[in-house]
Amino acid sequence: MSGGRRKEEPPQPQLANGALKVSVWSKVLRSDAAWEDKDEFLDVIYWFRQIIAVVLGVIWGVLPLRGFLGIAGFCLINAGVLYLYFSNYLQIDEEEYGGTWELTKEGFMTSFALFMVCVADNFTASHLDHLLHCHPL
Amino acid sequence: VTSLLSESGCYSVVLKARELVFASFFLTLERFPAWQVGVQRRKCEMSTMFADTLLIVFISVCTALLAEGITWVLVYRTDKYKRLKAEVEKQSKKLEKKKETITESAGRQQKKKIERQEEKLKNNNRDLSMVRMKSMFAIGFCFTALMGMFNSIFDGRVVAKLPFTPLSYIQGLSHRNLLGDDTTDCSFIFLYILCTMSIRQNIQKILGLAPSRAATKQAGGFLGPPPPSGKFS
Repeated sequence: MSGGRRKEEPPQPQLANGALKVSVWSKVLRSDAAWEDKDEFLDVIYWFRQIIAVVLGVIWGVLPLRGFLGIAGFCLINAGVLYLYFSNYLQIDEEEYGGTWELTKEGFMTSFALFMVCVADNFTASHLDHLLHCHPL
Repeated sequence: VTSLLSESGCYSVVLKARELVFASFFLTLERFPAWQVGVQRRKCEMSTMFADTLLIVFISVCTALLAEGITWVLVYRTDKYKRLKAEVEKQSKKLEKKKETITESAGRQQKKKIERQEEKLKNNNRDLSMVRMKSMFAIGFCFTALMGMFNSIFDGRVVAKLPFTPLSYIQGLSHRNLLGDDTTDCSFIFLYILCTMSIRQNIQKILGLAPSRAATKQAGGFLGPPPPSGKFS
């Protein structure tokens, strides 16, 4: 039983097992959207995590944010932003999806690996710029 | 097998790709004045490193697509797999709904019915895994050869810099075959594993080839994402 307002909508078509149609993304930013298909909503959470991982990976690599503080920061922001999204903004009933933990771990490890790749790539690239400002030998 | 791949031109293709990526970076270095030669040399090294990083990401995408392609040819397009998969998904959803509605005080008959359905689902999952076995062997063989080739290309090369020092038990992987004590140096295999972990599952989801959550849950990981194929993928 979801809290908040819910509008009845005709079921949206979805590609098989993980890919999402454009129509699904139009529901994403509407707090009153109805999510009849649980898999559809979990796929949205999954892809949001991947997007956050790429964005944070680029920022963390360019800044750069060194040490495990950066990794801890990513974990907190990734989990926190999505929690605020589905709990406060969409006001989803977490128990329908197996609890907050199930929603939190949806796509988390994949997003973590993606974050690490982006951080390594951007940190390596940003080293090039750093050397431009080195003193002459 | 490595020599086979060399002869087939795979080895030279990868080396050529590396050269092209490096050349594009070296073009930007020409504007440096002569007295910055030391910095320029270091910048060459870093450009080479960044080019290696990009190449490894590209290799990871290609190998993920190759693995899915092989699996599609050998498994996904067969009628047996399609039938089994549809059956498993149907049964998983049905079982999940039944488990949600059942209570502690439910009759023995209902519980026995659920047990029978679970047993049936387990058997179907096992059959599905057996069907997948063919592609696993093919991918394993293919990837073992490819990994041997890539390891020899990138052997001893620092392919990226990490912004942190990995934990000591991970350093065996992240600093594998690298000279020096700088533990922020990243080896090919560590970056490749990270790329594969992230890229492969996303590719499966984009192509719609990932198993459904209900099936994965009921199987308890037995019907999870395809198991790692080859030595390192």
